[in-house]
Amino acid sequence: MNSLLSSFVKNVIVVFLFTTCLSTFLYSQDIALGESLYKANCASCHYLGPEEKKLIGPGLNDEIFEEHTIEWLYKWIRNSAELIESGDKVANELYEEYNKAVMTAFPHFSNQDIDNILEYIRVGPPEVTASNEQVTTSIEGSESNTSLYIILSILLFNIILLVHVKNTLKNAASVERTNFFASVFYWLKANPSVIVFASILIVFSGMKGCWNTLSTIGVAQNYQPEQPIAFSHKIHSGDNGIDCNYCHHTARSSKHAGIPSVNVCMNCHTYINEGAITGKEEINKIYEAVGFDPNTRTYIPNYDQKPVEWVRIHNLPDLAYFNHSQHVNVAGLECQTCHGPVEEMEEVYQYSKLTMGWCVNCHRETEIDTDNPYYHDLHKEWIDKYHGEEVTVDMIGGRECAKCHY
Amino acid sequence: MLNKLTYILVLVIIVTMGCGDSSSDGRELTRHPGYEYMPNMYRSPSYETYSANPLFNDNSTARLPVKGTIPRGYVPFEYENTLDDYIKSGEELINPLENNLKNIEEGEALYVMFCAHCHGKNGDGNGSIQHPLYGAVPSYTDDLLVRRSGTTMKGLSDGHMYHAITYGFNAMGPHASQINSDERWKIIMYVNELQKENN
Repeated sequence: MNSLLSSFVKNVIVVFLFTTCLSTFLYSQDIALGESLYKANCASCHYLGPEEKKLIGPGLNDEIFEEHTIEWLYKWIRNSAELIESGDKVANELYEEYNKAVMTAFPHFSNQDIDNILEYIRVGPPEVTASNEQVTTSIEGSESNTSLYIILSILLFNIILLVHVKNTLKNAASVERTNFFASVFYWLKANPSVIVFASILIVFSGMKGCWNTLSTIGVAQNYQPEQPIAFSHKIHSGDNGIDCNYCHHTARSSKHAGIPSVNVCMNCHTYINEGAITGKEEINKIYEAVGFDPNTRTYIPNYDQKPVEWVRIHNLPDLAYFNHSQHVNVAGLECQTCHGPVEEMEEVYQYSKLTMGWCVNCHRETEIDTDNPYYHDLHKEWIDKYHGEEVTVDMIGGRECAKCHY
Repeated sequence: MLNKLTYILVLVIIVTMGCGDSSSDGRELTRHPGYEYMPNMYRSPSYETYSANPLFNDNSTARLPVKGTIPRGYVPFEYENTLDDYIKSGEELINPLENNLKNIEEGEALYVMFCAHCHGKNGDGNGSIQHPLYGAVPSYTDDLLVRRSGTTMKGLSDGHMYHAITYGFNAMGPHASQINSDERWKIIMYVNELQKENN
């Protein structure tokens, strides 16, 4: 009897465990499907969170289940325009509230699809754990450093101890202790050639030091000024793959590569209000400059806009003329040729020397594109003149003084 | 023994110092721009393109165009930034450029610069932008969902796209300041090709 009872209990437990496992499995499956549907169809207009966080439509969270019935949501998602036309009161209110912006109809969604999406909305996005990870790594870093310090201090203590023991032993054996500096002095007296070498060394290193210092005058290579906004080229250009020309759009047509005006930032940052590293702080500096309220997503009328005072990194002297469009548009150079791997830089620095020798070297080595049909006759003339040699920029006048100095 | 060691040591030091170059790869980044010899030859008193400028109230040399003027070569756009005008421009506007390979190729280059990071290199909406908000960009070949234009993405007309590039649409910002009128039409010509593909 007893064993029968226990086996029954066992069975119950097994069944219970099985059903819970199965239900969690199904449950998570629903959310995963809902998540992919949501990201593919809804995320460009609806933020997942409080209703006040508006993108094109309201932010979505579990409150929508209190405000609307499931049947209403089915109808609204499949074809909101139809629902509005049918004279539904709630639908018409929403339509008016969002400036008559009609939501895209999704007639092909099955009830199951919509259920999955709604389940995803109910649960909400997973909590971001990035900040926690950062904290743990920094703690780990400091831990490894402390252990290093502990090892070093133990070593130092041992050395001091050993020296002390040695001296005590010498005292006990009554060996005469010599002064360290005195012994070095006697050794130098015995080997005068060492002094000659030492002086040569000092003179040479002095000369080399002077040369190095002089050669940095007027060369601002590795200059990395602090910028008013902690803008990361690595995040924008590297991780997100935005083309350089997107922001520096005048590089193709103008002398200057162009510092993007704030409206270019706002193309994305109207909706992206939080950065991955600095949170809201740095992005708010854009809003402050241009007078934008991220909560209502509107520009403040009659706001006294002020420029963002970026610090210029590449300062060519006024006596030299440089034109971006000639190099980007005509020569077809990559930006990285002169500016280095900007897409890997958190903060931009001057990669190249920007000296005249640096310019002229590139003009000597770079071959021109002789395929351009517009200059066909001219190019043919040059190819004949240089007997089929590579025609480089300096051969067609790229090294003449007046090209850059006038 | 000691002498030999000294010779070697001195030689090693001199050689290593001679090899050292001020522009080696181990970069020492600095907040200081360095020094210039006779800077008044380098920096003229005139204001540079983006330099601070005490002559204006906002201390900026970069100015907006005077109100009521348009730059040379500028093509005015006569439609308003409303949904009605969006649909209207979709019905009325025609691409003024000749549909040839050169224009399409230029359009592709511009598309890669200005559109591909959201709309994807082949227009499928899978751009390189990581943010979830820009993860739901519709594909140009989508023939299923009827959008606010009254058409599907595949059925978007040139005018719809021109209006959207100029004023922005949904989460897309206005690109009028970055892309001029001709460039917009070239991009649209390339997008027309993307709409055709994969079907």
